[in-house]
Amino acid sequence: MTLRIVLGVLLTLVIVAALGLPIVQQPQHWYEFPSIPGLEEKARIIFFHVPTAWLSVMAFVTSMIYGIRYLRRKDPIDDLTSASAAGLGLLFCVLATVTGAVWAKFNWGSYWNWDPRETSIFVLLLIYGAYFSLRAAVEVEEKRATLSSVYSIIAAVTVPFFVFIMPRIMTGLHPGAKGDPDGAGPVIEFKMSPNMRVVFFSSLIAFTLLFLWMLSLRVRIARLEYHHQPKG
Amino acid sequence: MDFLAQHQLYIVLIIAVGIWLGLYIYLFRLDGRLKKLERELHREQH
Repeated sequence: MTLRIVLGVLLTLVIVAALGLPIVQQPQHWYEFPSIPGLEEKARIIFFHVPTAWLSVMAFVTSMIYGIRYLRRKDPIDDLTSASAAGLGLLFCVLATVTGAVWAKFNWGSYWNWDPRETSIFVLLLIYGAYFSLRAAVEVEEKRATLSSVYSIIAAVTVPFFVFIMPRIMTGLHPGAKGDPDGAGPVIEFKMSPNMRVVFFSSLIAFTLLFLWMLSLRVRIARLEYHHQPKG
Repeated sequence: MDFLAQHQLYIVLIIAVGIWLGLYIYLFRLDGRLKKLERELHREQH
């Protein structure tokens, strides 16, 4: 209960701070964010876009961990948890894609440019879309759980490559791409001022709590459905 | 109104907070209903 209230207050404060605090050239007060060259007002996306992308990675790794657990213990609840985590990962991945596309419209001129980062997230969406196609295609419960657990492990192995490696070894428009004059980007290089960092890390914590809450709700619903489904 | 016309970001802020609070209340109520259902089913079983 307490954690849920903390989450409610924290994420409300994060949204108010991220969108409400002014971005100025020369900050004079604690509540002013400095302007990051090339991003200016558009820098506010960092507080939402990066946590959603981070959560999709976390969700895909969670899906893999529960996939491994299912293969070891054959407990159907582990499979349901793995599928629930993959579903949330896909949701946050879509959110990262949409927020990124809106940002791209204003920074690069069009919603979609087939930049390495956009291409890699598109492939990731396809990989996890295929996970749910696989689950829908197999009717036998145990076979479905085993196949999708193995698939979740293989899919999660590709995640670091598509999220962290490929967009950084190829030249592109996204901050942090190879040849970016600003280096690894404002998040990795810690170009943010201390007050921006507080909002950024609070956002990361709040989004992680939101993910854990949503995951627990989905698992509880799946567990009820599993234990109380009509037998026969 | 003039203030909001000049500071359009605040309109975005109001909408974002509204969406978040809507989602939060939905999740909170879902959690409560789920807890009630779990308790009822648990009682039925024992």
